[in-house]
Amino acid sequence: MTFAQAIALALLQGVSELFPISSLGHTILIPALLHWQNVNRSTASFLAFVVVLHLGTALALILFYRKEWSAIVRALVASIVRGRLSDDAQERIGWRLVVATVPVGILGLIFEGPVRRLFGSPSPAALFLLANGLLMFAGEALRRRQLRGGGKDGKPIERLSYPASLTIGVAQACALLPGISRSGVSMVAGLLCDLDHEDAARFSFLLATPVILAAALLEIPKLFVPDAHLVLLEAICGGIAAGLAAYLSVAFLTRYFRSNDLRPFGWYCVVVGAICFVLAQRGAIS
Amino acid sequence: MRAIAIVLAVAFFLLGILYGMGKVNFFTESGPAHAHHITHLVVCWVLALLCLIWARFQGSPARTM
Repeated sequence: MTFAQAIALALLQGVSELFPISSLGHTILIPALLHWQNVNRSTASFLAFVVVLHLGTALALILFYRKEWSAIVRALVASIVRGRLSDDAQERIGWRLVVATVPVGILGLIFEGPVRRLFGSPSPAALFLLANGLLMFAGEALRRRQLRGGGKDGKPIERLSYPASLTIGVAQACALLPGISRSGVSMVAGLLCDLDHEDAARFSFLLATPVILAAALLEIPKLFVPDAHLVLLEAICGGIAAGLAAYLSVAFLTRYFRSNDLRPFGWYCVVVGAICFVLAQRGAIS
Repeated sequence: MRAIAIVLAVAFFLLGILYGMGKVNFFTESGPAHAHHITHLVVCWVLALLCLIWARFQGSPARTM
């Protein structure tokens, strides 16, 4: 992997982790499209590189939501010490994030390996990217139908029920499939649980933080394998680039979802997914 | 409910130890490089901790989760 490829992959990871377009799908499809034969996703040095990219992305999210995370953690600790729940908004958000994170952790542990082996190639990734786009259209259509039928809009996150939080967490676990976006699928689930776009995005980004951070921390031993030093400079620069890209992405998206919806990303996923699937079927990418 | 939470916490704690020792291989990658399932150990212990927190809330006379 060259330095330029490393930075390109880092920027791609930082942006696509938060935009609802699937980072995993893109890190499979883009190197395949560009015929980067020298980028081997299964080598120890590449896995170490990916760990640093995830750390950079997670730190960017923590930095962006630092005040919120600080309040949430303090409220959670106070609640545990007290031994009972209160109506504090940050505490309620914190427990909903905990409930929504549990299914991702368990399902990720069980299914990540088999899913990666079964679907970690361009054809399935392209197909799932297409499905991700359709899912966003379906989510928006269902939400509009709910609103027309008298459904509520703009329920605050702290008023989400625990089953709804669990549902969003289970939905997020679908992002184990390359091409299905973590933020996209959890936003769609949030919308269907009566959140508006802004709060669905906020909950999705808050929910992504512990998941990405835990995934990176659990993989830290991969940084100490013998071959990891081969990509030390690329990993450090890539981590910074991924963090910057993630910070700018979340800043943009939190503004974007104040008045916009998921459909433009749906179009992107449908078009890119369809093109990549056709190319993969014709053997143009592999 | 409190008793169930504590039993679950102990079960997850022990399961974590068994994963760490490589005695349990459910839902793990195979091969010598994966003999000790540290990730599974950590996740089991986090679940055990959550069960203990759940037990603590069940012990309270006020509203529950």
